[in-house]
Amino acid sequence: MHDDSFGNDPKTLWQNQPAEVSKMTLKLIRMKARELHAKTRRELFGSIAVALAAIVFSGLGLARGEDLAMQLVFVIAIVWALTGQYFLHSGMWSSTLPPDAALSAGIEFCRHELERRRRIFRRVLWLSAGPLLLAIGAFTMPIVAAGIRLDRGLSGKTIPFLALLGLWLVALLYFRSQGRRELEREIIELNDVEK
Amino acid sequence: MGGNESIPTREAGQDDLYNEVSDQYGSALERLARAYEANSERRRDLIQEIHFQLWRSFQRYDARCSLRTWVYRVGHNVATSHVLRERRILSRLVSLEDLEQLPDAANPLQAEDRGGDLERLSRLIQQLKPIDRQVIVSYLEDMDAAAIGEITGLSPANVATRIHRIKNILARRFQQGGHHAR
Repeated sequence: MHDDSFGNDPKTLWQNQPAEVSKMTLKLIRMKARELHAKTRRELFGSIAVALAAIVFSGLGLARGEDLAMQLVFVIAIVWALTGQYFLHSGMWSSTLPPDAALSAGIEFCRHELERRRRIFRRVLWLSAGPLLLAIGAFTMPIVAAGIRLDRGLSGKTIPFLALLGLWLVALLYFRSQGRRELEREIIELNDVEK
Repeated sequence: MGGNESIPTREAGQDDLYNEVSDQYGSALERLARAYEANSERRRDLIQEIHFQLWRSFQRYDARCSLRTWVYRVGHNVATSHVLRERRILSRLVSLEDLEQLPDAANPLQAEDRGGDLERLSRLIQQLKPIDRQVIVSYLEDMDAAAIGEITGLSPANVATRIHRIKNILARRFQQGGHHAR
């Protein structure tokens, strides 16, 4: 155990704290670069999974061969999911820093990062979760409608599924809006810092 | 640590420049990472990330600012990005102004803290919002107001106000144990 009592002042304490990590080598740096690429790929796959789910639901809906209007909705969901992925990944979904990070002073970079994250929040909701919700909605609506039409109500199997779906939707919207509000508050506070 | 070190030319290789900076600022970057991450494992990752981004940034180094400013900007920006990724943490962070107004007894971290002075100082810094962390870390690294302004982008008056607050907070928090913050 080292002795970290003040002795004199916080600056001395801070500057004389014990070293923790062994020196980084260029070999380690290159390894880190590979890890970062792998991480970005994982994030990409995570995001693609949502689009794939939307496409699967839409595909199932199309295969079921409901009326033309419903089939059109499924086609819209597929197109929406595919174009959404294109826009999501066109240079904005990266775990790396922007290359000019060092040219930005702290406050400028901070604002840029907060605004980038707010944009990602908005876009992910509309471009990724949006088509999935449309596909699920279109897929489940005929089941609900059939139950009502035949005056059987909803079956015991459908109710838990719909309840879970509803809960997931409410939680998704709640956490997304809370996150966005938090980021907006941070941006306002950051603007106040400069006044 | 001075700000008047020789500035390497752009011709210097990216690897050579990185090696030079790593030797000169390696310890300072470790301290910087401590200001942003309490968990030792995650801190190790953060330090590696800072080194990686620093190495990467030297592809674009053009001596527009001093090497020290460049290194600290990259370090703080990477670490800030690390903090902003953790939304749950972000919502609990406070400004220097909040911390100054907060009575010591009302500060749970302070009340629960049983660690040494370095641990207490680190925890205090880790409660702050990123921009205030940049100021306090730069102050503790003995930088003057102009250098802090260059790194953070804050005006000299703004930096001066924050340093004044930092001195008050450090004096109040650390004098209680019989120590004196200068």
